[in-house]
Amino acid sequence: MNSINFNACPECDLLISIAHPKIGEKHHCPRCNLLLLRPRKRSIERTFALSIAGFILFFPANFLPLVSITLLGNANTGILMSGVIALLTKNMWPVAIVVFLASILFPLIQISLSLLISGHLYFNRPNRYLVNWMRWMHHLDEWVMLEVYMLSIIVACVKLMAISPLTFGWGLYAFIGLIIITTLLISNLDIPFFWQKIERLTQDINHAD
Amino acid sequence: MPTKMNALRQGFIRCHDCGYLVKTIAQISSCPRCRSHLHARRPHSIARTTALLLSSFFMYIPANIFPIMTVNQFGTGDTHTIAGGIIELIDGGMLPIGLLVFVASILVPSLKLIGIALLLLIVYFRWPINSRRWTSIYRIIAFIGRWSMLDIFMISILVDLVDFNGVQIIAGPAAIAFSAVVILTMFAAENFDPRLLWDNQ
Repeated sequence: MNSINFNACPECDLLISIAHPKIGEKHHCPRCNLLLLRPRKRSIERTFALSIAGFILFFPANFLPLVSITLLGNANTGILMSGVIALLTKNMWPVAIVVFLASILFPLIQISLSLLISGHLYFNRPNRYLVNWMRWMHHLDEWVMLEVYMLSIIVACVKLMAISPLTFGWGLYAFIGLIIITTLLISNLDIPFFWQKIERLTQDINHAD
Repeated sequence: MPTKMNALRQGFIRCHDCGYLVKTIAQISSCPRCRSHLHARRPHSIARTTALLLSSFFMYIPANIFPIMTVNQFGTGDTHTIAGGIIELIDGGMLPIGLLVFVASILVPSLKLIGIALLLLIVYFRWPINSRRWTSIYRIIAFIGRWSMLDIFMISILVDLVDFNGVQIIAGPAAIAFSAVVILTMFAAENFDPRLLWDNQ
């Protein structure tokens, strides 16, 4: 393919000659102003490190209590999964599935995929599934809704605090940490650079065949 | 800048998944870099977006008229619709939170439905518009959609935490309809191809 010297804008299809912005610079589409390239310093290393941190934090964020409420002398403790189960047992399974996917399963898959991809790139190990992982991660992106969930926790707590006292558990701090890590992860992930790197790695496999 | 600047007009197709540029003359059906299926524009973009948008319009009605949750206090049930819950928050002196829920559950979904409908009409009737402005509007619609899940997540937290012998919060049928609205409009926005706004300029 001789298309190496050109690039197309994904949202307005303008044909542009490939730019090579320096680290810290941003390259926008001249026609529709979409951010096209934003190279990051040591993108693979940082993504790998943040993925490990995120993967570790995922477990306390999911299994330690987030919030406890005391009412009429009884205490109730909530974790991420207990909200899903409460909806399931109250005949709200369609909502339960949506909440489970957006707040538990998709974040876990996203972190695992970025761990796998950046790990393979960090150790320069080719894998034929790398391209599939990249594609899945690309499609999952907008369905990971941890930060929306965080805002819901805040709104729910403000509502509940009017009724009775709340206590915040370690799970909540882990959850906040997880959101910070995933946000940093997304901002350090240089997707075009990852694709180039994967292309070079997979070419090596093809030559070996 | 005229349409002839478009990659497609100059014989290139951009891979949807990895951004690789392929020559149309090569007549290959999958991307040489990531093996995903190649297509110049999102397949059946207008038909799929219209179908998803109409479905979300229909779900929008039950989402707003049925109760989204019921607060049971010692035998007496108190049902809330989406709008009722917001009014109660504001009456209770929680104006900022009430406004936040208003933006996420009423303003964003309704503006999204109108926005996607307008985008479809623009492409279908080839209205002369400022493509750059409408591409930004599309980008905003695609970005804010997920924030409407706020109310749904909040219900899952409330239903779970407020479950005592005398006091209970129960989710209502509007919760299912409302999550359907959010998901269907997210899919609608994803299926709309903003490049169609530039093709007829």
